[in-house]
Amino acid sequence: MAENNLCIALNQVAKTVDTPEGKLDILDNISLQVEYQEAVVIKGASGSGKTTLLGLMAGLDQASSGDILLLGHNLMQKNEEQRAAIRSGQVGFVFQSFHLVQGASAVQNVMLPLELSGIGDAQARALASLQQVGLESRRDTLVEHLSGGEQQRVAIARAYATRPRILFADEPTGNLDATTGRQIADLMFALRDQSGTTLVLVTHETELLERGDRQILIESGRLVSDG
Amino acid sequence: MKVKRATIHAYWLMFIASVITVSIVTSSQLITDRIGLLLDRQASELLAADLLIESSNEFSSDYRAQAQRDGLQVSQSVSLRSAIFVDDNPSLIALKAVDANYPLRGKLETAGEMTGDRQVTTEIPARGEVWVDSKLASLVGSRLQLGEQSFAASRLITYEPDRGGAIFNLAPRVLMNHEDLASTGLVVPGSRVKYRLMFAGAAADVGRFKIWLMINIKPGEEIQDLENARPEMRRALERTRKFFALAIVLTLVIAMAAIAITARYTATQEAPKVAMLRAFGISQISLLKYYLRQLGALWVTATLVGIAIGWFTQFPLQWVLDGWFGKALPQVNSLRPYLTAALVGLLALAGFSLPYLVNVTATPPMQVLRTVVNSRSWLRGLSISASAIIAVFAVLMLLMQSSLLAVATLALVLACALILPLLLGWMVRALLVSSQRRFWLRQYLLSRLRATSRGAIYVMSGFSLVLIAILLIAVVKDELIGEWQTQLPEGIPNYFLINIRSEDVGGIEAFLRQRGIEASTPYALVRARMTQINAVDVDKIDFRDPRAAHSVTHTFNVTHAEELPDQNQIVAGEWLSDNDDLAQVSVEQGLAERLELEVGDRLTMAVGSQPLEARVSSIRSVLWENFKPNFYLIANAELIESFPQTWLLSALIADSDKADLKQLLQRYPSVTLLDISELMARVRAIVDRASVALQFFFLFALASAVIVLLAAIQTGRHEREVESSLLRALSASSGQLYRVHILEYTLMGALIGFFSAAFATVAGWALSEYFFDIEFQLSARVWIYSLVSATLVFSLAGTLVSRRVYNVSPMKVLRS
Ligand SMILES: Nc1ncnc2c1ncn2[C@@H]1O[C@H](COP(=O)(O)OP(=O)(O)OP(=O)(O)O)[C@@H](O)[C@H]1O
Ligand SMILES: [Mg+2]
Repeated sequence: MAENNLCIALNQVAKTVDTPEGKLDILDNISLQVEYQEAVVIKGASGSGKTTLLGLMAGLDQASSGDILLLGHNLMQKNEEQRAAIRSGQVGFVFQSFHLVQGASAVQNVMLPLELSGIGDAQARALASLQQVGLESRRDTLVEHLSGGEQQRVAIARAYATRPRILFADEPTGNLDATTGRQIADLMFALRDQSGTTLVLVTHETELLERGDRQILIESGRLVSDG
Repeated sequence: MKVKRATIHAYWLMFIASVITVSIVTSSQLITDRIGLLLDRQASELLAADLLIESSNEFSSDYRAQAQRDGLQVSQSVSLRSAIFVDDNPSLIALKAVDANYPLRGKLETAGEMTGDRQVTTEIPARGEVWVDSKLASLVGSRLQLGEQSFAASRLITYEPDRGGAIFNLAPRVLMNHEDLASTGLVVPGSRVKYRLMFAGAAADVGRFKIWLMINIKPGEEIQDLENARPEMRRALERTRKFFALAIVLTLVIAMAAIAITARYTATQEAPKVAMLRAFGISQISLLKYYLRQLGALWVTATLVGIAIGWFTQFPLQWVLDGWFGKALPQVNSLRPYLTAALVGLLALAGFSLPYLVNVTATPPMQVLRTVVNSRSWLRGLSISASAIIAVFAVLMLLMQSSLLAVATLALVLACALILPLLLGWMVRALLVSSQRRFWLRQYLLSRLRATSRGAIYVMSGFSLVLIAILLIAVVKDELIGEWQTQLPEGIPNYFLINIRSEDVGGIEAFLRQRGIEASTPYALVRARMTQINAVDVDKIDFRDPRAAHSVTHTFNVTHAEELPDQNQIVAGEWLSDNDDLAQVSVEQGLAERLELEVGDRLTMAVGSQPLEARVSSIRSVLWENFKPNFYLIANAELIESFPQTWLLSALIADSDKADLKQLLQRYPSVTLLDISELMARVRAIVDRASVALQFFFLFALASAVIVLLAAIQTGRHEREVESSLLRALSASSGQLYRVHILEYTLMGALIGFFSAAFATVAGWALSEYFFDIEFQLSARVWIYSLVSATLVFSLAGTLVSRRVYNVSPMKVLRS
């Protein structure tokens, strides 16, 4: 396999945690690759390990064994800060429960990661991003006053504002009704088409599943199908 | 359906807590500097000057010249012992010659006769006249011979600011004009004369001059301080100062606890944001910089607002105190209070909030996907405590300059702060175990308190600390004032009758009894001078304490008492035993220390020309400020029987009975009346003023307590809402929800109340015992106040919180 074409690569990755009942294998022997500009959807029963896998791929968490390659860096040899530096400006997130900063306006939320990673012209970029998700008119509204769908759109605007190469999303429509969920899905894929971002998302929704280039099925911590 | 979140933003609480801290420092610096100046002035009155030097030789004119160059006022006095004849009997007097500037601080008060009106005066006796104190009241209007010159005794001195020592121990005062002194011919080479040069002026000038003086002083010359002032007044001033220091430390502790709690709350609020940002790849360093900037901005604004508030608070206080003092508070014109306040604000913020914020930047980014338990929690706890301790210590050093009291208070507070969370946590766990497999409410409740996400234990500890501090101020204040009141209850004797002849004692007692005037038992007095200690002449003993020289030239009243007088305590040896053969004497502690006396030492004294020998059988502490007859030396009856005695008793004489006084004086002309109500009033005033100023700091303490309470209510509120909506979804009735909340808060309140009262009692005892020298009384009030206030406040808070929580939709649980 031509590694330099790969956005993400996992080789025999396992994740084990200590629990009061002893060691628990959450993920076992996972190997997979994601190419640039691909849209990969991870599915599986609840508790199968999807969120854990997403966390490992994004470098949010450290695997117990195996190798993980993200944007050409081997994450296994990196500490938390180094992994953060790899993500900085390259990776975006959209979460099930939005994770917006309460008490701040829509545009402030979008600006925050831009400013902190030292990207210039944060405000203009934030506004452009808000415009892309159609929330330009609500720029100064406090996020807690927005509806769930609108909040998720702010989160998407925030994720795209840094023009990331990969967007990770954990059940981005999980908290939304079907219609709103569909709008959010439309938006995410529309933006991906525009920007050529790689998409890795975890979902249960058939709507989203079918739009992916590829579906990965996890069962009890094992990868059972890929394709 | 959308849930309204009317949360008070965490930063606001932290901001307010910082503002309060800065205001407290500004205000306390401004106010206590000024009250300190006032107390100094009050103390100065006891010296009649800001600074004085004393010598048995005349001073060189350099002193006066330098002082005047430094812009100080100067006054001189010459004191000596002399004798006058009263009814043909020689009587020892303390003569003092003063110049027109005397007194530089304080004022003389005089009256035309013993029962006449008192007048404050700025005059001194005119040439050819003398003023006498009340022991010589019978001489007013007549002439008296001093050396070669005859003087008219024109007025009675009712208050002399710098009259030191215990009142009735002193020889009667005769005050004269300095210009008359030479003509008396009393000052001849070899006579025991005490020269004083007194100085007064602005604090800075006095300070400068004092340094010059310390360099240029000659052997035999001594800079005088308060030590020789009236013991009653001195003690009152010292305690007041200590109490102020304590109150300020405690108020500050409260404010800083508020910063800590609000900072912790802020950190919990910020955690999700940090996790999200770290997921986006923001480094910990940039996050740290971000929070430092925020903290910096918070510090700058809080300092500005706090200084403004602190500055304004001086006006109401000034208004209150001006009324009391009858003169304006001295102005403090320096930047120092403001700079100190800003610095304390910075230290407090850095010490109490920085560790939390540093900590929050380490929130694992995985948190964005699921709750992650953060390990290393004890290490974190340690770093947080360490930084808080360093901050408190730095602040105290800055404000108190290593006052022992401040350091001790700090130690007490830290002990409480460290022990409290452990104790509370343990208590909740113990309750939890004891109630296993029981009623759901109880189990559920306790697990709620235990859950660290709520920070209930921290909030409880913080609130306890605040309550402890408030209780401590109240306890010590009550103790102090209570102590004064038991010492100076209404209706204690206000007159001393002295110079009573043995044959008149019975008659005078009967006279007073007939008129319903309360009087003490009579004490026999023998006037004696110390000549030898353990058969060594006192002149030849090299005492370590310079004040000893003064004590050995002093004439003491030796008395007898069957029982240990009120509020005296034996600190060594035993009270006079019944063994008649022994010549025993009980010595006052301070005197014993000055003369390095121990139990068993032999004292030789001279009564006139007769020797009086006795063994020191006990050393005794004396509460001088109770204004009862107090004595340096108490001997057994047999020892003093054979010497010429006069008697003393104290009596409570109401203004309406003043006519009886005249009658008494006519019938027993040898008796002298000493009015001590003036002195008592002065001591009382000091304590009263101090407590008024203190009420003020209480306001700050309460404001901080409110902030802590708000943080307490806010902390874990989100979890509480989620949980309530869950319980609603599980079909709990609103009545049940209500019960859970009220019970949770009431339990918290009761635990807080209990521990606060316990800690405050222990700390109160330690402070009273070791710093204020007052007897500690276990107060039920502290327990009642503490339990009732904490329980009530928390139940109330619980009610308010539950009202909000009722309105939480069960949908909430589905959405988060
Ligand atoms: N730190 C941990 N400690 C203990 N168990 C864990 C930890 N992290 C994950 N698990 C367990 O690993 C399993 C997989 O968790 P994960 O969150 O990845 O599942 P998921 O597929 O995302 O489920 P869902 O669809 O419900 O979100 C679960 O059983 C979870 O309880
Ligand atoms: Mg999941």
